[in-house]
Amino acid sequence: MSKKWKWILGIIVVAIVLFVGAYLVGVKLRPYSYHGMVMQSTEPPGDFTLIDHNGNRMNLSDYEGKWVILYYGYTFCPDVCPTTMMQLGRMMPLLGKKAKDVQVFMISVDPERDTPERLKEYVTYFHPSFIGLTGTPEEIADAAAPFGIYYKKQEVEGASDYLMDHTASVTVLGPDGRVRLIWPYGTTSEEMAEDLLHLMR
Amino acid sequence: MSQPDPSPPPPEPPQDNDFPEERQLLPSFGSVKLVWIVYGVFALLLLITFGFVIFQPIKVLPRVRLAPGYILTDQDGNQVNNEQFRGKLTLYNFTYTRCQPPECRQFDSIMKEVQDRVGEVETYDLPVEFVTITFDPEHDTPEVLKAYAEEMGADTSTWHFLTSDDPKQIRRVVGTGFQVYYKERAPGDFEFIPTMILVDGWGIVRGIYNDRIYVADADRILSHLNVVASEAAFSKGANRVGYEAAHLFLCYAD
Repeated sequence: MSKKWKWILGIIVVAIVLFVGAYLVGVKLRPYSYHGMVMQSTEPPGDFTLIDHNGNRMNLSDYEGKWVILYYGYTFCPDVCPTTMMQLGRMMPLLGKKAKDVQVFMISVDPERDTPERLKEYVTYFHPSFIGLTGTPEEIADAAAPFGIYYKKQEVEGASDYLMDHTASVTVLGPDGRVRLIWPYGTTSEEMAEDLLHLMR
Repeated sequence: MSQPDPSPPPPEPPQDNDFPEERQLLPSFGSVKLVWIVYGVFALLLLITFGFVIFQPIKVLPRVRLAPGYILTDQDGNQVNNEQFRGKLTLYNFTYTRCQPPECRQFDSIMKEVQDRVGEVETYDLPVEFVTITFDPEHDTPEVLKAYAEEMGADTSTWHFLTSDDPKQIRRVVGTGFQVYYKERAPGDFEFIPTMILVDGWGIVRGIYNDRIYVADADRILSHLNVVASEAAFSKGANRVGYEAAHLFLCYAD
């Protein structure tokens, strides 16, 4: 009778401890799993110089100390770019106070059509803090290659306009300019904010 | 013989009154044992962590940096870009065909050996591609590269020999992008650090073989192909935690 109680009590205590332990291991102590691909680069991929949407020349290195997010796209982009830009725009309020430490750039891969004015109108539509960048084809090539970005003009049959085929991922640089994360196309604003807030802790 | 026992009689075992015993046992379950179980859980956690660091059950290769984006021209005159190799493992090397053997052919023969033996390696259906980029585009036209590939006996279905009609593009991709040192000492004579680079399906550099970071040899590269492919195949769900821990604790493959 009393032995039975002892056993029952013992089992209950062990069960509670195991449950709490499993919870701690599984939820609280588990290393954070990023939605993006984490990089372990030891040095920045290099500087670049472009023209911002106000027509001023800028260097990437001017933004050291900020969390810089690079997205390569173009304003005539029919689907991929607006989707990603919208996710980035929605991410900003989710960052709360930390949003001021983040700078999002959209680098045009279509400098032929993307004037600074057009870029400004486009990127600030998604978030007022966003900055559009453009430059000569040569400068853009230099700014894209080190970040693994490919782009190519695609003539559309029977149309006077063309499309740009381009890498659609988003690159996150730390305050020291090192590449920290790559978000594939389709990462949501919540996932981006969660990753960024975790990185910025 | 009723002599009394000199030793005190053993205490009578309690017959039906095990109530006090229970009272005594209760707190031992409630407090002492509980504490020990908590210690046990933490000790186990610590042991797992130490075990992980010491025994390194999962080996990975670091995500060194981004491989460059590019469009180049292959030995048949077709345009090739880095996005074509997304979702595949790609082994790069860099050379120029005017280089006189044996100085320059060593890394080409390692590439050749890896291509010939890649079937021995479990890559979990991840295709493996090979890319040789020339840093002498003015001499190494597609035709020259085609002859070079044929002479080497390279299987050009998975081995691409790339050049560009714009020398600046080569500098951008090989020099700035892949960070491979080369310099034209005299016309047609280059000084360079022979390098092979392994890039994963995300376009991330995972292995650099230039005798400084890893010595280039076919066995090591083949085993690295398996390491990167295994991560791509198994780093999902709960296993991902293990793989990320391996990155965190720098459990790098030899």
